[in-house]
Amino acid sequence: MAVGDRAIIGQYWPEDSLVHAMDPRAKFLLSLVLMAAVFCAATPVALAVAALFIVGFYGAARIPLLQAVGALGPLIILVLVTALLNVLFVQGGQVYFEWGIICISEKGIQSAVFIGCRLFLLLLGMSLLTLTTTTLDITAAFERLLAPTARLGVPAHELGMILGIALRFLPQFMTELGVIYRAQVSRGARFDANPFKGGMRMLTALMVPLFASAFRHAETLSAAMEARCYHGGDGRTRLDPLRLTWRDGAGTAAVLVMLATVIAANFIPV
Amino acid sequence: MTQRSENAPEAAVIAEAAEATEVVAAAVPGEAAAPDTFVDFRDAAFTYDGERFVFRDLNLTVPQGQFLCLLGGNGSGKSTLAKHINALLVPDEGAVEVFGCDTRDAESTYFIRSNAGLVFQNPDDQIVASLIENDVAFGPENLGVPNPELRERVTRALAEVGLQGFEKHETNALSGGQKQRVAIAGVLAMDPAILILDEATAMLDPRGRAGLLRVVRELHAAGMTVVMITHYMEEAAQAERVVVLDGGRVVLDGAPEDVLVRADELRALSLEVPFACRLSLALRAAGVPVAPCIADDDLKEELCALRSSR
Amino acid sequence: MRLAFEQVSYSYAGAASRKKKAGKKEKRQADWGNAPGEVWALRNVSLTVEPGEFLGVAGHTGSGKSTLIQHMNGLVHPTEGRVTADGADLVDKDVAVSVRQRVGLVFQYPENQLFANTVYDDVAYGPRNMKLPEDEVDRRVREALLLVGLDADEIGERSPFDLSGGQQRRVAFAGVLAMEPEVLVLDEPVAGLDPLSRADFLALIASFHASGMTVVMVSHSMEDLAALADRILVLSEGRVFALGTPAEVFADAAALKAVGLAAPAPQTFASALREAGFPLPRALYDEATLAADIAAALGCGDGAASAPDGGGGRG
Repeated sequence: MAVGDRAIIGQYWPEDSLVHAMDPRAKFLLSLVLMAAVFCAATPVALAVAALFIVGFYGAARIPLLQAVGALGPLIILVLVTALLNVLFVQGGQVYFEWGIICISEKGIQSAVFIGCRLFLLLLGMSLLTLTTTTLDITAAFERLLAPTARLGVPAHELGMILGIALRFLPQFMTELGVIYRAQVSRGARFDANPFKGGMRMLTALMVPLFASAFRHAETLSAAMEARCYHGGDGRTRLDPLRLTWRDGAGTAAVLVMLATVIAANFIPV
Repeated sequence: MTQRSENAPEAAVIAEAAEATEVVAAAVPGEAAAPDTFVDFRDAAFTYDGERFVFRDLNLTVPQGQFLCLLGGNGSGKSTLAKHINALLVPDEGAVEVFGCDTRDAESTYFIRSNAGLVFQNPDDQIVASLIENDVAFGPENLGVPNPELRERVTRALAEVGLQGFEKHETNALSGGQKQRVAIAGVLAMDPAILILDEATAMLDPRGRAGLLRVVRELHAAGMTVVMITHYMEEAAQAERVVVLDGGRVVLDGAPEDVLVRADELRALSLEVPFACRLSLALRAAGVPVAPCIADDDLKEELCALRSSR
Repeated sequence: MRLAFEQVSYSYAGAASRKKKAGKKEKRQADWGNAPGEVWALRNVSLTVEPGEFLGVAGHTGSGKSTLIQHMNGLVHPTEGRVTADGADLVDKDVAVSVRQRVGLVFQYPENQLFANTVYDDVAYGPRNMKLPEDEVDRRVREALLLVGLDADEIGERSPFDLSGGQQRRVAFAGVLAMEPEVLVLDEPVAGLDPLSRADFLALIASFHASGMTVVMVSHSMEDLAALADRILVLSEGRVFALGTPAEVFADAAALKAVGLAAPAPQTFASALREAGFPLPRALYDEATLAADIAAALGCGDGAASAPDGGGGRG
C-alpha cells in the first residue's frame, strides 16, 4: 500500500561510522569486489561466510540490518520471483509435490534457497554503498575513476553528474509515485485486483504522471543549475577533496579477507 | 549576520569573471546608468517564439541596495524578467545591463550569474545534492572557489539563512520552507550582490513563508539588493518599492503605501489588495474618514485617533 | 453519507515489527523540531463529517491533515480506533472500495496525476474503473467537465498536458467529480494558484457545496475557511485542537497563534480594536460587517449600510 513510505535504495543513511568515512572511490571498487566475493560462494557454507562478513560490514557502518532489508523494498520481489522460478524449473532429487506440469523437487528447493540467498546478499552488498555514501560522493568516485578515460573522449564528468542527479531524485520520485498511486486508487484503480487484466492501463496511470513530473523537474533543474554558474567540469573545485586514509586500507583488507575466506570456504565439504 | 559589501560586487574567482570585472570598471563612467545602478532594462524586448513578445520597450532600473517587489498576474512577464537579470535569458531588442555589463556579452555571463543569485519557485527543482552542504557548495564549486574559502562560504551562507550546523543533513527530509532556505544559501555562497526570488514563497505554507521573508529582510538590512516576485501582498508591503507589470509593461511603480492602495487598478490586474486597504475602503464607503493604507497598525491608529477625537 | 472517526490514532511506525525504523526516523527528525518520540501522525481523533456540511481542516504542515483525509476513503487505516461510513468500518476492503466511489479525494496539485492521452479519457478513468456502461461514462464525463467550466466537445480530445496549469487542475477536479461522489475531500485545492484563479476555484467549490455535496477542505487560508466552512477542525501535532463553527474557532486568536495559525485578518483586526476599546459585539467578522460596526462605533454615516466595495474583496 504505502509506496514511498519507507527508505529506499539510493537513499543515504547519515551516520558517523568507519564505512561512511571511507573514500568513495575505495568503497565503489570494494563493493564490486564484495559482489564478486558473493558470486564466488558456490556452497551454502561459503555463502554463510559471505553473509557473516556482510552482517559485519553493516555493523561497522552502524546501519540496522532490518532497515537495510526494508530499504530493498520492491527488489525483494525480484529475489522471491527468482527463487520461485528456480523451484519450478530446477528438477532432481526427491519430488515433494507434483500437479500437472508443476513439480517441486528437492533440488529445486535447494537451488531456490541458494540462489535467492545469493541474490539477496548481492543486493545487500550493493545497498551498503548507497546507504553509506552520499550521491555526490558516489558521483565524484565514479567521475574520478572514469577520469583517465576522459582523454579517450568519455564524458566522465557529465556521466557523473547525471548519476548524481538521478540518485538525488530517486527518493523524490518514490514519494511522488506514492502520491500518484494513492490518487489513482482514490479514483477507483485497483492495483491489487487482477494484475494481468488491464495491467497496461494501470501502469500508464502511474508511469505517465511520473514521467511528466520528471520532465518538469528536468526543465527547471537545468535552468537552476545554469543560474548557479554550472558549465561542466572545467575549473570546478570540490567541497570535500577525496583523500585515501587508513580506513580505506582497513576496508580493503577486510574485503580481501572476505574474498579469500569465501573462496576457501568453498572447499569445506558439506 | 555578516555585513555585506557596500560596493559593486567583488571579483569572482574564475578567469572569465576577472575579465568581466574590468569591463565593469571601464563601462560604468561612460554609460548613462548611474554607477550605483545594478540592473538596467533599456527598451528591452523579449519573445520566446519570435511572434508574441513577453515584454517590449521595458524600462526598469534597480539601484544598489533596494528591496524591490515585482507584482503581476500570470503571463505578465515577471519570471521572464527575473531570468534576464541572471543572464539566463537575453533580450531580443534593447539592452539589459547588470552591474554595467551587457547580459548579451558572453564574457560576463558567469560574472553576472554569480553576482545575481536567482531562487526559483519549486524547492525540489533547484536542489542538486543529497546533503545540504554539497548543495550549498554547488555554486562556488562551479566558480572554482578553492577549499578553505569554499568551506567558509558554506558555513557562512547557512548561518545567514538560519541553518547553521545543518551541513550534514539530507535535503530530501526538509520541509518546503527549509528547502527554500537551502536554495537561498546555495545562492548566497556565490557571494552575490543581488538576490532574485522568483515566486520563491508560492509553494510554502504560512510558516515557511514568514521564515523565508524574515531571512530576506535580514539580508536586505545587511546591504543586499533584493528583487522579489510574489503574489502575496503582505510580502509586497515589506518592500521599499513595488513595481506592477502587466502584459510586459510597468504599469505601477512606487512605494508600497502608494501602489498597494490603488485597489481598482490592482483588481483589474487580477491582483489582491492588502486587507488594511480593503477595510479602509469599506470604511470610507461607510462614511468613516480614513486614508487608504496598507498596514493594519496604521489603520488601527487612525481609527483610535478618530475615536478619541469624538 | 456520514463519516465518523472514533478515537482514531495513526502511527507512521505501524506494526511493532517496524519499531526500529521508527526509532531511527525519530532520531533523524528530532533536530528539526518534531517532538522526540512523536511518531503519531494522528492521536485520538474523534469527529463526524455530517451529510451536507462544509468542514474546513486547518493546521500547519505536519499537523496530520493529509493523513486525516486519507482515512476518509480508506487509503490509510487507523493504527488504533476506527473510521466508519454510515456505520460500516472502512478497514473492510470491500467497504473501502465502495466508499472510494462515494468519497472523492482530490490531492494537492491534482494536475500532477493526469495521465491519459485525452482530457476525455482522463476524466473517464474513474467512471470506467467503476465499470459503468459507456453511455453513462459519457454522460458523467460531459457533466463533470461542464461543472468545472469546460466543454467536452471543445477540449475533450486535447491532451491534458497541452492545457494551462489552471485548466489542468479543472480537468483533474472533473476526474473526481465524474465519479459523482457524495463527499468531496480537497487537500489545499487552491495551492499555487494566482489570486484570480484562486477566487474562481473557491467559488466553484462553494457551488458544489450549495448543490448538496458534503465538502471537506484542507486549507492554509483561514480567510477562505472562515468564508466557506460550516465547521472548522484545527489539528495540532495530530490531535484535535479545536472543532466548531468559524466564530467559535476563531474567537481565541492567541490560542490559534500558539499552534502556528493566525485567525482571519478581519477577526484579528477586530480583536485588536476591541482591546483599544471599540465595542464590536459580533463573534465572527468579515470585512463588510467589520466596516459597518466600526462605522457605527464611530457614529459615522448609518453604520448598517453595507460597504459596496469591501465585501467583494475575496471574490
